[in-house]
Amino acid sequence: MNSSSGNSAGFDPRSITRPEPVLLTYYVWMSILAGPLFPFAFLPLFFKYKTLEYRFDETGISMKWGILFRKEINLTYRRIQDIHLTRNIIQRWMGLATVAIQTASGSSGPEMSIEGILESEELRDHLYSQMRGARGETVPDELNEKPTQQTDRALELLGEIRDLLKSSTPGEPKP
Amino acid sequence: MNTQVERVSKWCYQGVWGVLTSWFRVPDQPPTLPSENEELEAFQPSEGFLKYLKFKFWILLAIFDVAIFVGWLVITILNPVIGMILAPLAFLIAVVPDIIAYLAIHLRYDTTWYVMSDRSLRIRRGIWIIHGTTITYENIQNVTIKQGPLQRWFNIADLRIETAGGGQSEQGAMSSHCGLIEGVDNAKSIREMLMNRVGQSQSAGLGDDDEQLTELWTKKHIETLEEIRDLLAVRLAQ
Repeated sequence: MNSSSGNSAGFDPRSITRPEPVLLTYYVWMSILAGPLFPFAFLPLFFKYKTLEYRFDETGISMKWGILFRKEINLTYRRIQDIHLTRNIIQRWMGLATVAIQTASGSSGPEMSIEGILESEELRDHLYSQMRGARGETVPDELNEKPTQQTDRALELLGEIRDLLKSSTPGEPKP
Repeated sequence: MNTQVERVSKWCYQGVWGVLTSWFRVPDQPPTLPSENEELEAFQPSEGFLKYLKFKFWILLAIFDVAIFVGWLVITILNPVIGMILAPLAFLIAVVPDIIAYLAIHLRYDTTWYVMSDRSLRIRRGIWIIHGTTITYENIQNVTIKQGPLQRWFNIADLRIETAGGGQSEQGAMSSHCGLIEGVDNAKSIREMLMNRVGQSQSAGLGDDDEQLTELWTKKHIETLEEIRDLLAVRLAQ
């Protein structure tokens, strides 16, 4: 099963714990776009960069950041609804991207935005391969085949047991 | 003459495209999906979509340019000197945005890609901000087809594929819980295909674990039943 996630050979998301330093440069540029409000735009982003931590494990992702107000988001791969990869022009120049992950919650914005990963396409494809429905497990024919096979076998066995009981006539047990 | 104009415009367009791909890192290849030996189908909006966008463009252009012309005419009648000075400016305002808009339509068309595999679909669009959406069929909740009168005339329709989770963002098309396939001429057959897949799926598309849903009889049940049968057979044979 896990071989299918090998489409991104050599890429191991579990090794990602911190965003790439180039993310700070990107934040500087984005803050410059805010013009005179630069310090107000830059400080939160700076602290976000300084404290941002990712953890990718077998079942899910968690990210946390913040100095005064700390925030931590956890989600499992199975609950991912859709994945968005967004790259604006500055991000493209720096090789960055925003991988936004959506779960089935009520908010309109993405539940988790992963920034500052250089291998964003690989990460997206890795997440995709972990997502529900991306692999053979839920393809209809497989889905229908396995349980019915088991159920048929169970029915067969139950029938045999019934026949066995029937063949031994009740009332006069064999000596 | 006409072919020459065509050739020049094509050359210009190639130039713009080259700048975009090399300087602005716009990918010139269609997107792919990671797949295990399943076929991928990459397609773009239909020709009708381009015509539809251009039609809307020409109407808007006519309104816009007439408004500028009337404004300029009023000024010229009131004060011919200022009118003469403003003439080149008005001409620029009337023409330059049109060229850019016309170019943008072509670029928009050329950067819109839809990829569908057996299990999922990927949508990529955008020039300045490139937006890629990946949705597995398993997670689709509903599919909406929208077609306005103008779109019907051009024989195209928009397909909205929605996953679970609420919240309509104000951007509409870029809304987060959905994928928009716009300007296709085979919307109905895509809809059929998708809804078939959704109908076959035995889960609610909310990340349910398949094992709990599907395994009624496990191997253990079977083994136990086999044991019962064997025991019974031995008992009865005695």
